[in-house]
Amino acid sequence: MSVLLEVRNASRKFGALMAVNNVSFSVGQGELLGLIGPNGAGKSTLYNLIAGVLPPTAGEIVFDGKTVTGWKPYEVARVGIGRTFQIPKPYRQLSVVENVMLTAFLREKSIAGARRLAEITLADVGLADYFGTPVSALTVGLLKRLEVARALAMQPKLVLFDEIMAGLTPTEVGVMTKFVAGLPARGITVIWVEHVLYAIMKTASRIIVLNRGELIAEGPPAAMARDPAVVKAYLGEEMDLA
Amino acid sequence: MSIAEPKPTGKARRLPILPQRGKVSLFEILLLLVCIGLVAVGLSPTLRDVLLLTFLFAGLALAWNIAGGYAGLISFGHAAFFGVGAYTSTILLVHFNVTPWIGIWCGGLLAAVFGAVLALVCARLRGPFFILSTLAFAEVVRIGALNWASLTGGPEGLSISPAPSLINMVFTSKTTYAALMLGYAVLVYAITKALEASRYGYYLFAIRDDEDAASAAGVNPQLGRTSAMALSASLTGIGGSLFAQYFLYLDPTFVISPEISFQFALLPAVGGLGTAIGPVLGSFLITPLSELLRSNLGNAAAGLHLVIYSAGLIVVMLYFPGGLAAAIGKLARWRPFS
Amino acid sequence: MNAFGQLVLSGILIGSIYALMSIGLTLIFGVLRVVNFAHGEFLMIAMYGAWGISHLLGLNPYIAAIAIVPAMFLFGALVYWMIINRALDKPHLVVVFATMGLSIFLQNIALMLMTADLLDVPPIFSQSVTIGPFYFKVELLLGFLITILCTVGLQWMIRTTYLGKAIRATVQDGEAAMLMGIPVPRIFLITFAGGSALVGLAACIMLPLFSVFPTVGLNFVLIAFVIVVLGGMGSIEGALLGGICVGVVQSLSSYYVSPALGQMFFFILFLLVMIFRPNGLLGQKGAANIGMND
Repeated sequence: MSVLLEVRNASRKFGALMAVNNVSFSVGQGELLGLIGPNGAGKSTLYNLIAGVLPPTAGEIVFDGKTVTGWKPYEVARVGIGRTFQIPKPYRQLSVVENVMLTAFLREKSIAGARRLAEITLADVGLADYFGTPVSALTVGLLKRLEVARALAMQPKLVLFDEIMAGLTPTEVGVMTKFVAGLPARGITVIWVEHVLYAIMKTASRIIVLNRGELIAEGPPAAMARDPAVVKAYLGEEMDLA
Repeated sequence: MSIAEPKPTGKARRLPILPQRGKVSLFEILLLLVCIGLVAVGLSPTLRDVLLLTFLFAGLALAWNIAGGYAGLISFGHAAFFGVGAYTSTILLVHFNVTPWIGIWCGGLLAAVFGAVLALVCARLRGPFFILSTLAFAEVVRIGALNWASLTGGPEGLSISPAPSLINMVFTSKTTYAALMLGYAVLVYAITKALEASRYGYYLFAIRDDEDAASAAGVNPQLGRTSAMALSASLTGIGGSLFAQYFLYLDPTFVISPEISFQFALLPAVGGLGTAIGPVLGSFLITPLSELLRSNLGNAAAGLHLVIYSAGLIVVMLYFPGGLAAAIGKLARWRPFS
Repeated sequence: MNAFGQLVLSGILIGSIYALMSIGLTLIFGVLRVVNFAHGEFLMIAMYGAWGISHLLGLNPYIAAIAIVPAMFLFGALVYWMIINRALDKPHLVVVFATMGLSIFLQNIALMLMTADLLDVPPIFSQSVTIGPFYFKVELLLGFLITILCTVGLQWMIRTTYLGKAIRATVQDGEAAMLMGIPVPRIFLITFAGGSALVGLAACIMLPLFSVFPTVGLNFVLIAFVIVVLGGMGSIEGALLGGICVGVVQSLSSYYVSPALGQMFFFILFLLVMIFRPNGLLGQKGAANIGMND
């Protein structure tokens, strides 16, 4: 399995705060990597480093053989990294399908082509009934799905999901879990930040754990559930989770 | 579902009745015919003045809308571009005998440069700070024009000799001017519609609605903002040149004023930002009204027409933030923004 | 060297008076996150009010403040209730256009009622005060003293009273403040009205130094905005610091740079500040971003 993304000694400092501290890991092609950690662990900052929103204050990021450290978000998107936003950021004056067309334009240059691709992607995530709906009419759950559709419409090589389950009903969680699990088989490598740990534990091939900006553990889901450092980070004390 | 969606069934493709983004509608075609009719029909000189000013301001409002309504760059400094265009073509004509038919494009080009400069200066600014910077920018241009007397004639102004000739774009007949202004409005309208129907237009909407998301979708926000401002500025500059050819006199305090900048923003806001028909509606409503008020009340009490104007604006803004287009849309079950 | 020192000191004095005029604006920015484009016109009508009292009752503007400050408080409350409150839940451009409209409305009402003539109050103090090698107009010193007193009083209020803490909380995070039980809409009203009252006070101490005419607001509003940007949104100390900077720069440039270009120089300074320090000298993050849809 070839390495698609490599993060080498990445750090990001805000004043005196080390939001991300010397984090190194890699993601192989076709993997579904879970990224977990308590609140404030630095997961969003790490995403922002990979997605180009912030440059690292130290370290390097290599994607698909290219050094993308310090690239702008649109440059990173153009080489095939897609992302969702933890708090959905839809284009409020555009309809649902138009929201997805923007990302689709990375693959299809014509309006008609982009619309078709957007419609297909929306149907894929179960939003086929909402093409013309104004965004303001969508519930949180649907907005989250729209975020996913937007990220996927660019047919990314790597997609960064940021808590796409928050606000979903148990049924929706089940559906979305299955959906995400199927992405690697379609050629889309996934990094998944999620608080609904159940979903990640079930689907991820590997998990990395962040706490206070540092990578504290890495391994298969079962091992992570038993790792004392991980448990301590989440719960603050030793506890038997098995 | 929106009214009258076009269904391409082979050769017979039905046009939408009411304006829709990116598509030509029957309403727009009819409106164009009505305008052409108004130009051709014999109107009194005052009415013809109002008509040509309405067309001119429709074009200027549409030009502003490209930056303000589509790209979300609300500028109260567009008078700078208006002035740059006006002065460029006029200086070329008066000092270098260059015909305005070429001069207006030079003016447009220089105005585009100014627009790009403004966008770059304000690259990291958003919201009220962006707006204030556009104001400051226009004032810098105005004071510069006022003081560079050797180029612009300074406070004495610059006049174009009123000897009518085609090559100098000076006409005796107001009808010809009206046709010229209508041509300008149609040009900017066509560019606006083409923009709406293009990928570039979508990029601007995305930058307007959420810059971060647009970035994550592969759109370069700075390029979008700069190009939209440059395009908007150049079209405004062309309007300025045409205005100079009609008014035959320019002076910086009058031409590069905050009042004119405000007008450019007011018309699209009242008519409906972010639509093509909005600025047109805005101009068709406000320009005649403003001329009417000015001629009837402007002498009686200086400023009364502006008092009425601005009070009206406040009311419209608070109760119809989507402008006329949105208000009509609610009544006619029409979705002007889609 | 004496000229330089004189200019700097006068600049500090006038700058602090500019700061008083700007404190209202920075608080309104910080608390409500809206820009009041009619801020300069608030100053203008307060100046006309002070002039009117001076003209009709023979009182000097400093005494007139007793009436003007509460009147401006009520005026601010009225504007808040009629316009600002209704614009808050709408897209940001609504409050921009509405306050712009208000600005033009007030300018032209003034034009209609008072004509375009420049109006002044008769000089109150006949002599200047001499301190060492420098001399100052009494009005300038008095204005400076009033500003300092007022700023100190405001700072005390902000730090110790419940209202002050509520205001600071709202500046930091309006939503959180509401969740904590702070009556945010009332804080908005008090801030807006209070800011207007401060403008009223500023107008009373400025009238002895500047003439009033319908578009006088335009000159000062840009100064106020520069001060707010320099000082950081929501910061009273910042406004004072920013005001002093602006006052000194203006004082020096009007002497050393050609007067015709003086104003242009000021606008260019504004743009430079926007480009290089959009977050203010004291570096308040996010100041350049208000108005974005969060």
